[in-house]
Amino acid sequence: MTADPAQAVIRRGIVLTVLALIGVAVVMVMALKFTPVEANQGLAQKIFYIHVPTATVALWIAVPATGLASMLYLWLHDPRLDRFAAASAEVAAVFCLVVLTTGPIWGKPIWGTWWTWDGRLTLTLFLFFLLLGYHTLRGSVRDPLERGRFSAVLGIMGMALVPFIHLSVYLWRGLHPKPVVLKPSAPSLPWEMLRTLLTGFGVFILLYVGFVTLRYGLQLAQDRKEEADAA
Amino acid sequence: MPPDNGPYLIAAYIVAGVIYLGYAVKLISEARRR
Repeated sequence: MTADPAQAVIRRGIVLTVLALIGVAVVMVMALKFTPVEANQGLAQKIFYIHVPTATVALWIAVPATGLASMLYLWLHDPRLDRFAAASAEVAAVFCLVVLTTGPIWGKPIWGTWWTWDGRLTLTLFLFFLLLGYHTLRGSVRDPLERGRFSAVLGIMGMALVPFIHLSVYLWRGLHPKPVVLKPSAPSLPWEMLRTLLTGFGVFILLYVGFVTLRYGLQLAQDRKEEADAA
Repeated sequence: MPPDNGPYLIAAYIVAGVIYLGYAVKLISEARRR
């Protein structure tokens, strides 16, 4: 047992992150060895098992969690909410970066182009820029109360983009495929593929939790150090 | 016969692995410095 709560959170975050990274390797092996090759798209379709769970966790967990924590922060002014929102936004940016790199690598062999200004792709790129702006803003405001307030507004704006990103494939004609799991009807995938995809969802949720816990613990340690220095 | 596009799959897995692993190493090394 450690007396420092920040160290305990950091340790928990490291354990969860390491377990989740092992899980990511397991998902890759499952996709490569134990999931059938899609007849039309070939091996490139297996990028889907990393890309889709990453995008789902970013858009449906990381960004909304940032937005909700930001809203609650504006109401309650609890520094724990600001710390959590900041950790979640940083992890959301990392997940978005994976989405925005693996997507084009899939797009090149399937669509014949790395990038197209499709609604889903463009809005996801905007969200990524917004998250980078959030990070930059936090680094440039010294006063913690102002920093929390300003960044909370950006966090809420990020959350407001999510429904548009999800509905973009229905609202505008584009190349991006429509959802195969997060839709009103049953998932349109054979079980062998769905099994790998669902494992991916579990693993990337764990990775998000591990990263956020670790980032939160680091910020908590930093805040405690600043408080001690100021005292 | 499915198209032969395996190198794209490998590239995507390497890129995702490098980003996730790189971020984890950054956070863990920051934790070790404290």
